[in-house]
Amino acid sequence: MIRASDFPPPFAASEFVGEPTDPADERIEVGVLVVGGGPAGLACAIRLGQLLAEHPDVAERMGDVPVALLEKGKQPGSHLLSGAVVNPRALRKLGYRIEDLPSYGPVHDEAVYVLTRRNALRIPPPPTMRNHGNVVFSLSRLGRRLAEDAEEGGVTILPETVGEKLLVQHGRVVGVRTGDKGRGREGEPLGNYEPGADIVAKVTVLAEGTQGHLTGVALDHFGLRGDEPQVWELGVKEVWKVPRPLGRVVHTMGWPLRTAARYREFGGSFVYPMGDDMLTIGMVVGLDYRDVELSAHDLLQELKTHPKIRKLLAGGERVAWGAKTIPSGGWHSLPTRLHAPGLLLCGDGVGLVNIARLKGVHYAIESGRLAAESAFASLQRGATPATALGAYDDAIRSGFIGRDLYEVRDMRQVFGRGFFVGGALASAMTVSKGRLAIGKMRAEPDAEQPLLRSAGRADRYPAPDGTLTFDKLSSVFLSGNKTRDDQPNHIRVERRVPREVADLWINMCPAQVYELGTEGGDGTVTVQLAPSNCVQCGAITAKGGRLTPPEGGSGPEYTST
Amino acid sequence: MSILVFLEHHDGEIQKGSLGVLAKAASLGDAHAVIVGGGVGALAAEAGKYGAVKVHVADDASLDPPLPQPRVDVLAKLAGDYDAVFFANSVLAADVAAGLAARLDAGLNWDLVDVTGDFTGKRPALQDSVLVDVGWKSTPRLALFRAGSFDAAPTGGGEPETTQAAVELEEHSRAAKIVDQQLEEASGPSIEDADVIVAGGRGLGAPENFTLAEELARALGGAVGATRAVVDAGWYPYSAQIGQTGKTVSPKLYVALGISGAIQHKVGMQSSNVIVAINKDPNAPIFEFSDLGVVGDVHEVVPKLTELVKQRKS
Repeated sequence: MIRASDFPPPFAASEFVGEPTDPADERIEVGVLVVGGGPAGLACAIRLGQLLAEHPDVAERMGDVPVALLEKGKQPGSHLLSGAVVNPRALRKLGYRIEDLPSYGPVHDEAVYVLTRRNALRIPPPPTMRNHGNVVFSLSRLGRRLAEDAEEGGVTILPETVGEKLLVQHGRVVGVRTGDKGRGREGEPLGNYEPGADIVAKVTVLAEGTQGHLTGVALDHFGLRGDEPQVWELGVKEVWKVPRPLGRVVHTMGWPLRTAARYREFGGSFVYPMGDDMLTIGMVVGLDYRDVELSAHDLLQELKTHPKIRKLLAGGERVAWGAKTIPSGGWHSLPTRLHAPGLLLCGDGVGLVNIARLKGVHYAIESGRLAAESAFASLQRGATPATALGAYDDAIRSGFIGRDLYEVRDMRQVFGRGFFVGGALASAMTVSKGRLAIGKMRAEPDAEQPLLRSAGRADRYPAPDGTLTFDKLSSVFLSGNKTRDDQPNHIRVERRVPREVADLWINMCPAQVYELGTEGGDGTVTVQLAPSNCVQCGAITAKGGRLTPPEGGSGPEYTST
Repeated sequence: MSILVFLEHHDGEIQKGSLGVLAKAASLGDAHAVIVGGGVGALAAEAGKYGAVKVHVADDASLDPPLPQPRVDVLAKLAGDYDAVFFANSVLAADVAAGLAARLDAGLNWDLVDVTGDFTGKRPALQDSVLVDVGWKSTPRLALFRAGSFDAAPTGGGEPETTQAAVELEEHSRAAKIVDQQLEEASGPSIEDADVIVAGGRGLGAPENFTLAEELARALGGAVGATRAVVDAGWYPYSAQIGQTGKTVSPKLYVALGISGAIQHKVGMQSSNVIVAINKDPNAPIFEFSDLGVVGDVHEVVPKLTELVKQRKS
């Protein structure tokens, strides 16, 4: 029995934790440091801006840069990707009128289908999947807008900057060290070499999104991992320009995934309208799958050949592509605490996703807002920082995030495993469930699933035709990724592994980062890497490797995903 | 209309890019050229063949090192007499053009791929998907042209008039010194300059098989390029990488050996005049945009091809 987890990556969280190293007068001092320009980080920054505007006395004590936000992409939004049908609740709490934001309008109509190879059976949308009142967004576009508002509110945004190392002094997080730029393949400084800098802050908020690098480091360093391991789904999506409006939100399940329990192929697809002339189509599959030939990228290509789906895309053109993981462990996988001294953790990074409802953006925003409230409270004169930051946990757990997640905490137990088993239609959802054997609390991390190879999985993927179906490299190109090749490799994996593990990574990666190297003669093979293809989806961290941040500005440049 | 063209030279030869820009300038009006360096007097005649009616030669040992500021000193004294000054993009030319723009407070349009007789420049934008018209508000108009924008075709011009240009260097222009110059190891022309490129991909099978590409390139008098995949794998140096994140080339002949033709590679070589692909996979995307496709094993086809080219040449 081969498991990817038997071949752990050369990685230790301790490499990325340390005291500040820059001389004291060269450190960049900020009030609150937010890491990550997604919905959580931007909401946090926006709320802090609001609070500081209301309390100029506090703002004054926070120096020249009261709030700074690090974004690893070219600009905020560059690395944002989601469905996204968003529950507008958290945006309203942040002070927005939805009409004022760049959305594709509210959901008016929806349909859920169970697919077989040639047919589609429409079923009534189960209660968890009713989207009436929710709003379709491009998360990338929304992020760009929120970033503008944050900057207007006095937040300093540092794009193309990665948070590489967590600065910890006397057991307290005091900031983040940013990543070096301009290093060559072997780490040697090139002509444009620029070392990272220590950014020290009174409070650090990690809002890095799924598979956040520093979030993972902090969870390990402070021993915050939850009762259950976190597990993930991998989503791959495309944006299409189409001649006919879609008009409604569509979810599918079943084909091209296989329903037999032993494959553990849980997931589904979504098709959302983006105005009258665009739509987005995506495939989501649980990363607890076992077949080494499973490829989410190619499942999406296969899905598009279904008569029902092909019809929606006829005469259209693919204009964007991207991939990302989604944490799906829910309540039981939450960290034991969402704070540590000097530190708050938000959003997808800590798994604030309601996988039954396919929703997480509004939790990200709400957690960012609540983090801002707590960070601000801790900066008040006479505040006890530990108490103030601890209040963040209470606010998350007692607010709608905690209530929602608690409600669906045992979803998998109730419905068991397998797609058409007891009550499945009522619970039907497009992403995986049934991670638990009935009556038994799960669960293994995704990387611990025993691997299998079923005959012909890969043969079923359609050959790319360049019109409806595409190969991975064309997809990576469309993601806007033009990462500098001659930089150090940022992906940590064991390079000599059994063929099964190599094939798992090669097929899993939607961006063709992994390729088969040479045979080792002892049943192992080497794994070749093309790290500059990486779109930082995070799947490798779930399946036995570790994604660390590449040089700032690397990766995709999403605009409409 | 009078245009001054900066001619860059290395090792006693004028760069092809400069000559292309000169030929273009000659097609628009009175083209004069300026050559700056040590022992460069003999190059003036060459400039005549590409349409220069007059060549300013600044020949002085102090100008031998390829430093930008001394060249700015020379050009600054000449530029005022011209409607425009053209440069073919290179690291040195870009420095000189920028320095001259600052010195004269003149406008510089860069990355142009064409210019019309009424001085409207064409600049690609939005990842080269559109051409933008650009102009100048003052004279002299400084223009820096993208590599390979114009063919360096002789215009049939005669012996040019040659004048010695004044060499009076500013104090600050003497401040920088070239300490050392090193050539990157490469045989044959660089891939940006080559008329013929033979590029190898993963289909070559192993790093040592790059000799197939090198031998064919030598026979054709061309340079060797590589795909990202093989550079990533350490088979060939990064300096030879062609594609989205490598170099963009447009030779007259591009021979692709064992290259599948992923879009990342295509965008770096699609404007080549003639593309020949040899690949054993008949479904490789490269066949969709090659002028001549050979479905076959590079290990069989290429040695024979090299042999034939050698025979034909001898």
